[in-house]
Amino acid sequence: MDALKKIFKFLSSMTFAIILLVVLAAACAAGSFITQGQTYEWYAEAYSESAAAWIMALRLNDAFHSVWFVVIALFLCGNLLLCNVIRLKSLIQKSRQAGEPKKEPEQTADAMAHQISDPVQVFERLRMPKPKSLEQDGKQILFSVKNRAGIWGAWVCHLGILLLILGFGLGQMTKAEYTVYGVPGQTLLIGETGLFLQIDDFQVNLREDDTVEQYTADITVFRAPQGSTAEPDSEHAVISVNHPGRMFGMTFYQNATGWAARVTVEKSGSPIQSEIVCAGEYLPVVDLNDLVIVFNAFYPDYVSVPGSMPMSASSKLNNPGYLYSVYYKGNIIGMNVLLEGEQVTIDDYTVTFTEPQNYTLIQIKKDSFTWLAFMGGITTMIGLFFAFYLQLQAVCAVRDEDETWTVYGFCNKGGKLYEDLFSRAVQNTEKEAGRKE
Amino acid sequence: MLQVENTLFTIVMLLYFAAMILFFVYIAIKKDPVAKIAIGLQLAGLVLHTAALICRGIGAGRLPFTNQYEFATSFAWGLCLVSLIFLLKFKFPVLGAFSAPLIFLIIGYAAMQSKDVHSLMPALQSNWLGFHVSTAIIAYGAFGVSFVLSIIFLLRDKAKEGSFWDLHIPSREKLDLISYRSVALGLLFLTFTIITGAIWAERAWGSYWSWDPKETWSLVTWIIYMVYLHLRIRRGWQGKAAAIFAVAGFICVMFTYIGVNTFLPGIHSYK
Ligand code: HEM
Repeated sequence: MDALKKIFKFLSSMTFAIILLVVLAAACAAGSFITQGQTYEWYAEAYSESAAAWIMALRLNDAFHSVWFVVIALFLCGNLLLCNVIRLKSLIQKSRQAGEPKKEPEQTADAMAHQISDPVQVFERLRMPKPKSLEQDGKQILFSVKNRAGIWGAWVCHLGILLLILGFGLGQMTKAEYTVYGVPGQTLLIGETGLFLQIDDFQVNLREDDTVEQYTADITVFRAPQGSTAEPDSEHAVISVNHPGRMFGMTFYQNATGWAARVTVEKSGSPIQSEIVCAGEYLPVVDLNDLVIVFNAFYPDYVSVPGSMPMSASSKLNNPGYLYSVYYKGNIIGMNVLLEGEQVTIDDYTVTFTEPQNYTLIQIKKDSFTWLAFMGGITTMIGLFFAFYLQLQAVCAVRDEDETWTVYGFCNKGGKLYEDLFSRAVQNTEKEAGRKE
Repeated sequence: MLQVENTLFTIVMLLYFAAMILFFVYIAIKKDPVAKIAIGLQLAGLVLHTAALICRGIGAGRLPFTNQYEFATSFAWGLCLVSLIFLLKFKFPVLGAFSAPLIFLIIGYAAMQSKDVHSLMPALQSNWLGFHVSTAIIAYGAFGVSFVLSIIFLLRDKAKEGSFWDLHIPSREKLDLISYRSVALGLLFLTFTIITGAIWAERAWGSYWSWDPKETWSLVTWIIYMVYLHLRIRRGWQGKAAAIFAVAGFICVMFTYIGVNTFLPGIHSYK
């Protein structure tokens, strides 16, 4: 029983909190130094075989989602929860007591006593609220307290961190994420949601210096109607970078862009295939799957410099150039740059590239707990502000028999700095009283 | 406007340099009026520095917070601002002698960066960027001051009783409290930086936290300072151990700021 108690005490202790925080920091540092998400072979190549073995064994290849990382986070949550639960009662008590006059200096570590004739001025100089006058043990007492909420700072901050970790964790476990890409006019299925995304328009706004100002996509999302006569349930949004749209409880982000073109294949003079293909993608020929056209790259303003790689002089569509390669049974049989109006012939087949245009890549996310993490962050901020900038202060003046007053000051965490402040307030008050006399 | 900024920047550098030299002279000859002149020069530098940043903002047509040069010069500005506030509030000119070299180092680093104005890529065109970076500037400035204070704290023990150092540096207890104040200021603003950064990332990239090295290292920094706070509360760890953590915290700040961009792969770009 004693052992259990000891373990419980340790798990709820600040020592454990400090250990956990240090371990967490070390884990984060390790996770940032080691490139994440690679294979054993990759690490063996980049570092060494034994390092790779350690990395894989400790799951340092995916440190932030590994079991041990989650376990540390859970321990921290438990630690925080226990700490806050245990301290709640004494905090409530402390908060109540803070409202009562502290006339005995030994009640508080930082208390100070000074004899003075006009105590009200000290309250004013210390920017305390107007003091209350009351009687205790036959003595008149002036008392004022401020920043009582500050006592709760650490507690609120701890609560905020708990909410933050909870919101982040739940979000990680339940979130859904999809990516679609295409050109205006296309309609794409969004994963297994049963929703369709139609790209109505996509614009890349260039500045005069040829840099990109904004990417803007006009999109409509709809649910395929059950009965054929029903109107589809649809929502529309214009999204751009930094301005996502919300539809059907999901958030749509304009995430990336690239070039696409229409690839047309003709056989013996008659078209057999015509599709929009994005740069980087490939197209197997319909009636001869062993023949594959790869659209390697696109140059909107193609310039040919002998002896160097193809390049684009600007982002404007002045002289479209399509870098393609052709594979037959997995072997490359040709590679070149085609210009507008040119074609490549492979036996009976001819291939042309036309209609260069930007495609848009849209990311779709659903995280139902972002709000919780956000609340956690805000709560943490408020807690920190309370802890750091609302320091509990109390001033108490007791009237002595000889009509002079003794003032006591107290500031939570104020230490010697508050003592200076307090002494200065008292001295200045006395100086002024001296001058008046 | 950018021409004006350029000229102002050079004057600011000279003023900070002169202030640093005068602070050293103050330490050497131990005459208080010298410290006053040094503080005056630094104040003048800060005012012109503010003007330079405003000129840069007008010249570039946006907040001057978006590349290595702009952030470095803003960092020096933040450090100078917080240092002067602490120096004047706690009547502690020796602080200036220790922070001036750091300010000069950072503005010197800024001077080595390219001053070209580039147009912003779409992801950087966000109001959140303004909040995110301006809070980071104050946070970094405050951590810089806490670093300097902790160094002074660690050196203070070597001062002989009654010596210039002993008389011109606050007591250990006060130093610890002042350092705590600067860490508190830094932490509050760092938390704000991280939160506004998360909100911005959520809007621009669709994920408020993705363990990008810069994010991760700002978290490491944040945790180190949290450890500092809890160590301070524990009996027996107040003082030296906490001061060492404050120094470690600032090393993390510098790593987050410069090291991450230099040594670690990042995804902070819109490709
Ligand atoms: C990520 C985790 C944590 C964060 C961000 C955090 C944050 C804070 C902050 C900001 C303070 C106020 C410090 C000050 O006023 O100087 C504080 C105080 C404190 N923390 Fe934590 N803390 C964490 C974990 C914990 C845990 C797990 C425990 C308990 C075992 C704990 C125990 C305490 C105690 C006892 C105080 C002093 C309370 C007071 O002054 O009223 N902390 N914490």
